[in-house]
Amino acid sequence: MLAKMKKSRTKDGPEDVYDPEHGKAIIIKNLVKKFEDVTAVNDLSFEVKEGQIFGLLGPNGAGKTTTINMMIGLLKPTSGDVYVGGYNVKKSLKSIKKFIGVCPQHAAIYKFLTGRENIELFGNLHAMDKKELKQRVDELLEAVTFTEASKRKAKGYSGGMLRQINMLMALVNNPYIVFLDEPTVGMDPRARRKTWEFIGSLKEQNKTVILTTHYIEEAEALSDMVAIIDYGELIAIGSPKELMEKYEAENLEKVFMKITGRRIVEGI
Amino acid sequence: MNIQRLSALVKMELKKIIREPAYLFLMLLFPAMLTLTFGLGFGSVSSAIPGKSQFETMVPGLFAYACVFIIMTVAQVFSDDREEGLLKRINVTPTTSGEFMGSHLISNTLLSIIQVAIVAIFALIMGFRFQSDAFGMALAFLFIMILSICSVGLGLITATIAKSSGAATGLSFIFILPQMFFGTFIPLTDTTRPIAMFLPSYYATDAITMILNGVALTEINIWFDLTVVLIISVVIVVIGMGLFKKYGKA
Repeated sequence: MLAKMKKSRTKDGPEDVYDPEHGKAIIIKNLVKKFEDVTAVNDLSFEVKEGQIFGLLGPNGAGKTTTINMMIGLLKPTSGDVYVGGYNVKKSLKSIKKFIGVCPQHAAIYKFLTGRENIELFGNLHAMDKKELKQRVDELLEAVTFTEASKRKAKGYSGGMLRQINMLMALVNNPYIVFLDEPTVGMDPRARRKTWEFIGSLKEQNKTVILTTHYIEEAEALSDMVAIIDYGELIAIGSPKELMEKYEAENLEKVFMKITGRRIVEGI
Repeated sequence: MNIQRLSALVKMELKKIIREPAYLFLMLLFPAMLTLTFGLGFGSVSSAIPGKSQFETMVPGLFAYACVFIIMTVAQVFSDDREEGLLKRINVTPTTSGEFMGSHLISNTLLSIIQVAIVAIFALIMGFRFQSDAFGMALAFLFIMILSICSVGLGLITATIAKSSGAATGLSFIFILPQMFFGTFIPLTDTTRPIAMFLPSYYATDAITMILNGVALTEINIWFDLTVVLIISVVIVVIGMGLFKKYGKA
């Protein structure tokens, strides 16, 4: 660990820091988060392999965002450990920040900047080389057919466009691990489909994606592995196919109904 | 401290002011209107100082007030960014607190200087004349910079207390009003002076008044004012940053 920390101090690029243990991009051990008398996350443990798209499913208030916030260091766990890219979040958050990309649930965008300027700003915050940054922004905008619209101020964007820029901002630093918290909420079906293709392409680039979503068909279409959490507890984990076979269900929605007795979109 | 991150954040903050009409109004029109109004209202009123109009005695205070007024802008900007989830988003990048706070100190000090320059231009138009040399002007500039940094600290304290942008605007007047009435352009009385002595703008206004009236820079009171305003500013900025870092980002 000391060697890893030394390495991260001497260089700045994600490739110089990222160092997962035995092909595991994320390891969560007995994670607990309590807010006063409410237990939002209760003894959660799972692992995410490198290059997987990992769907984190659950109704509103299940603890998905709380879990993600602990993975990225925005919340301190009450107990338990989170390792991201080989580093303990409690001890080496500075190193982790260099190789992760985070797309928050609500589009966090500077509305007075253009779409392109927003993406460039976050590239600069990752201290990317200017030439590399320009090339990366061009690639990202082209990938989602946003090049023309990116010249306009974000203030005039539709909800779906804001979410697209929100996601590109998370990817500008070419992260090894990407956290996408409900990335397609508010998108029309066409934009959603295009975003699915884009998220699928991240797998081809061997990126690990943690995806939370309410859209069960989204998780089914994209995820290699799915974890279903409810009331902060892990209630099922496996590939969509494994879960459907195990619970003798036609789709993940029915798996969820069988386990919890309610539909995923109903919430708690 | 990474210069690329720092300059990207400073540029972004400056773009916000330029591109948002409300902030642009506050930055450009407000100091111009204030100076013109006072110039027209008090330009022909005699003051206690022979040969000087009431307006001319107020100008140093107007410079200080332009710095003090950025408390509101800083509080609004931080509260807005927090509401929009932008502070959390920046928090998951390698940007350090020092770089983030440093960018705000730089951008807001720059804005303050622009506001003071606007006050200076309109004060000249309204008949005010500077009676100091280049060194004096540089020293007055230093006071303006320190007071601006202090105002950023007070803005951070306001943003920490306020839970929304609207509340930040109102709460900022807790720090703006006392400085306006007791520490800038409104003449002090025996009753208000003891209150003013707790305010950084009082010391800045006092020193700028001496400098712009051509008092020798060896005058001990100027350096006493500089020391006091510097100490108060450092304390306020440290408190502001500490409070905001601990309680203000959520």
